[in-house]
Amino acid sequence: MYEGPIQELIDELSRLPGIGPKSAQRLAFWLVKAPADDAKRLARAIVEAKERIAFCRECGNVAEGDLCRICRDPGRDVTTLCVVEEPKDAATIEKAGVVKGRYHILGGAISPLDGVGPEDLRVQELLDRVARDHVIEVILATNPNLEGNATAMYVAAMLTPFGVRVTRLASGLPVGGDLEYADEVTLSQALEGRREM
Amino acid sequence: MRLAWVELREFRNHAFTRINPVPNGLIVAVGPNGEGKTNLLEGMFFVFALASPRVSANAPVVRDGGDAAYARGEVETLGGRMLVEVEIPNRGASRVKLNRNPVRRKRDVRRQVRGVFFGPDDLDIVRGDASRRRRFLDEALVALWPLKETLLTTYDRVVRQRNRLLREWEGRGEPPALEAWDGELAQAGAAVMRARRDVVAAVAPSASEEFVALAGYALETTYGPNVGAVGGELEEAIRERLRERRADELARRTCLVGPHRDDVELAVRDLGARAFASHGEAWAAALCLRLGLAKAVEREIGEPPVLLVDDPFSALDPRRRDLVAERLARRGGQVVVSVADEADVPEAAHATWDVQAGRVAPRTGA
Repeated sequence: MYEGPIQELIDELSRLPGIGPKSAQRLAFWLVKAPADDAKRLARAIVEAKERIAFCRECGNVAEGDLCRICRDPGRDVTTLCVVEEPKDAATIEKAGVVKGRYHILGGAISPLDGVGPEDLRVQELLDRVARDHVIEVILATNPNLEGNATAMYVAAMLTPFGVRVTRLASGLPVGGDLEYADEVTLSQALEGRREM
Repeated sequence: MRLAWVELREFRNHAFTRINPVPNGLIVAVGPNGEGKTNLLEGMFFVFALASPRVSANAPVVRDGGDAAYARGEVETLGGRMLVEVEIPNRGASRVKLNRNPVRRKRDVRRQVRGVFFGPDDLDIVRGDASRRRRFLDEALVALWPLKETLLTTYDRVVRQRNRLLREWEGRGEPPALEAWDGELAQAGAAVMRARRDVVAAVAPSASEEFVALAGYALETTYGPNVGAVGGELEEAIRERLRERRADELARRTCLVGPHRDDVELAVRDLGARAFASHGEAWAAALCLRLGLAKAVEREIGEPPVLLVDDPFSALDPRRRDLVAERLARRGGQVVVSVADEADVPEAAHATWDVQAGRVAPRTGA
């Protein structure tokens, strides 16, 4: 549609996840119009991230170097592992500060429709860690959707021979939410997981 | 529940149709074939269901040459007045507003306003294959309990995931993680089956009551789930059946167990309705299933839904035609019926609309 560098930029941007052709066009023109320094800073940040950031050899999270910040921290409990799909999930849980143990990033969820099978996930690495570190509990914190649940079921089955405690995050009503707006499935799961008062 | 006014723009052959007010009681839209009666009812249904009862794609709904069709209307309910506006573009998803606020989830509208549609295609519920009856159950589920729609979409996705897994497996034995998908299928499938059982329990008695009034004998509607649980847990029964059919599933590379293989049995006078009912009888059965659904919705929400009945009389004999008209008029609540023949306009009608070339003219002094 356009010529030369601007079209190249649009093409590159539209390859990013969640960016369609229209967004790519908007971003490209914004970048072209922006001060040269802004654009250069962004370019530098991308190059630097690509060069310096690696994946932690333990948990698979993003890391500067061999190990990520959490796996380097000796104060973190090695006998509790919180298993998540993506680094962003670990970041979300970490922000809440509710997990004292360490993380394990699977790198996705099982989804045949997207061509992702268990062999594409870091499941073997998880089993290795569980055996090596005498893990006591594995918390499965994959997303509470179909693919996340199937992944959790699969991982739980693989962990059975190790005799560790395997738990799954509870599903139910959001705190501060309104009963009226809860859907059927959420409500029934909340009811299943109800507690004595 | 009552549709106070309705407006269609660029909707099939209705360039601009505005009916204000829409009267109460039994309204009859009359006009020759192809003039836009069905389109009018379809447009009115959009205000309630945000979708067509006839087609799943948007494009056919948009008037030739237009970019988008619009259906708007205001519905008076026990819960207040609801202004529903639907923009239906040629391509892409419809946009919906409720009381001028954009709506993200359609079920947030569907649980506020309820309409039930009957059309000639519904004959397939009785005469067609099992998939058409499953669709009726699912339409009824959404009409009765809009929040339960997620059960259907979840199950549908499980089946697609599991089918893909089975289809693309080239190795020996069974694909890894199949067990995990068995668990998902059992859980989601059992939820759908329980919901469908509830649908049949809610609709069948009212449908039969309507049928008795027309025919003098009962219409039996029986849910035929693909997996029955005798006394035990339904989830466990589905898992058990999956284990039994494992080899078959691996050979045929598709899900063979679950509610996507359910059926509904319809019977009159101890005969299967599909095989034995006459055309008029099958037609009456289909109509009575929809009327039974309307009754069930009324029991659920405490007020009658708006009924949109497209061409109900053409396959009925004069006696049944009069009975249906009389029952519709006495039903309470709003009913819009379309007929092609002036002679079919029932005496009991409270208002009549002439439909011609995509225009609607309320008759005065009728």
